Amino acid sequence: MAEQPQAEAAPRAVLHDIRYSRYSGSLRPRSTAVASFVASSVRRPLGLRRSAGSKVWPFLLLAVAYLPSLAVVAVPLLVPQVTLQPTQLISYATLLTTNSVVLLAFVATAIPSMLTRDRRDRVLSLYFATAVSWLEYLVGTALAALSLLAMIVLGPLLVLFVGSIATADDPGRWVADNIGDLPRIVLAAAVVVLFHTVLGLLVGSLTSRRVFAVGGYLAVVLVAPVVTVLLSTVLSDDWPLALDPASGPVRLAASVLDRAVSGPGALAWVVWAVVVVGGSAVVAARYSRGSDA
Amino acid sequence: MDIETAGPPGLECVQVSKTFGSVTALDRLSVTFSAPATGLLGANGAGKSTLLRTALGLSRPDSGQLRVLGLDAVAERREVRRRVGFMPEHPCLPADLSAQDVCVQLARMRGLGRRDAVRRTSEVLFAVGLEEERRRPVGSYSLGMQQRTKLAQALVHGPDLVLLDEPTSGLDPAGREEMLTIVRRLSADLGIRVVASSHVLEDIERTCDEVVVLRAGTLAAQRPVLVEQELTGPVDVLVSGDVGEFARALEPLLAPLGIRIAPTATGDIGLDRSSDAALDVVRDLAAARGVGLQHLVPAARGLEDVVVDAMGVHGG
Repeated sequence: MAEQPQAEAAPRAVLHDIRYSRYSGSLRPRSTAVASFVASSVRRPLGLRRSAGSKVWPFLLLAVAYLPSLAVVAVPLLVPQVTLQPTQLISYATLLTTNSVVLLAFVATAIPSMLTRDRRDRVLSLYFATAVSWLEYLVGTALAALSLLAMIVLGPLLVLFVGSIATADDPGRWVADNIGDLPRIVLAAAVVVLFHTVLGLLVGSLTSRRVFAVGGYLAVVLVAPVVTVLLSTVLSDDWPLALDPASGPVRLAASVLDRAVSGPGALAWVVWAVVVVGGSAVVAARYSRGSDA
Repeated sequence: MDIETAGPPGLECVQVSKTFGSVTALDRLSVTFSAPATGLLGANGAGKSTLLRTALGLSRPDSGQLRVLGLDAVAERREVRRRVGFMPEHPCLPADLSAQDVCVQLARMRGLGRRDAVRRTSEVLFAVGLEEERRRPVGSYSLGMQQRTKLAQALVHGPDLVLLDEPTSGLDPAGREEMLTIVRRLSADLGIRVVASSHVLEDIERTCDEVVVLRAGTLAAQRPVLVEQELTGPVDVLVSGDVGEFARALEPLLAPLGIRIAPTATGDIGLDRSSDAALDVVRDLAAARGVGLQHLVPAARGLEDVVVDAMGVHGG
């Protein structure tokens, strides 16, 4: 049998018809769709897939948040004379408190606008009509916000924990001795992240104007401490300090991390629970009609 | 003419009512959209947008049942959401994202895998003529490009039904022409059911098979866009000169053919039928009397007349 010319057996080029056609493939489960929404909601506040200018502020804040933990890990690693452990240079509770200003700045500029921008762009009619339910939308947005704030709050704590392992003389023994810190780190971060996620989304759900949302959140976290301190001074009692939304969750988290710090009291936990549960309920009520109005 | 398609109707309303405070937007509306492409017409406040929003689940009917592709718009909303595409009239796109990112994101949120979402996005952006500009932020687009992006996102997941709210709104003549061509192709070539709301009758005539007219939340008219004219049906005749004299001369000539004449409301001579022999008689008489035939047209009323009457433009 005569050998076929190679050109006939293996065409060098293929023409693809890229005209629009009906989609006949299978659809993924809803959880996959929501996960893709979460991923895109995480990318936008970080400025990913957007202009270079959009990335400056969020990544600056991330850098500032990670700087202390990276520094205390780097010093024992790079300077042999330093024999202290990173956790001896800065405690988890101190690191959390140090980062609280960065956290407030990040929440103010990123979290409320996750809701306001969709209302401003009037994209909710598309989402609710053809993509996700209002509940999927809120769950996706909340998960994205939690992920972003975990980067700011939990990330540096984990860097400190892992850095301590790396700098320990006997890493295995250090892990065995300190593994109990890990759940407390996660729990403490969760206390802070959950509170500010709900507070940020609550403020964002009340307006479609980003400037009002940012201003509203800042008003809550900047004015409330002044009021609570004044109240505490006037009443000569510490209990009003538990109402402070700026320092309250951080103090709760610090009490989880470091039992040496005096607990902020049951009232602070009540305030935390009221904000988290009540705020979630208000946000849900704002969107439960499933309307873009 | 049968313009229905196989399968359940695109939209089916049974006694659907919706009120906003004291305003009744839909008043026990019962209508079935079974044509491949249906145009929804009506004056401002007639209930067009409310009907679309209710079908999409953005607003709940107070009473009655609304079915989309045979699915209950309220109880089976998740399935409706999966099978429907929507192009709103108002701006609805994130200004800081590119058309590519918008379409990929919405496709993924509608359940497509990443690879399929990217491939489908390329297809739809090519189909609407945005393949060259797909990476620019939507906020930098012209109005026409934003309209095309809105259409692309409505198609990216391969819906069975697309609801288009004023698809040519704000477009220049060239953009409008392209948009109408694309919309016509959806139902004619791709088998996607289309419901298009518009104020412009010509847009509906060019893109749809059937027209539904709403007035004050009720069905005012529903008819095919194209009605086959009966070749021997009634006609109206107008001649130059004395019409009455011409009519008196014409009547005995048509009587043997069994055709009767009568004056029309507009002063024409109305023939109740129009066989070839009758038309020959009219032509020959006009030639013999030296009068001109100013018009000889089917008496059936056109779409525009029906729509204008139904919309109550003349105060009806």
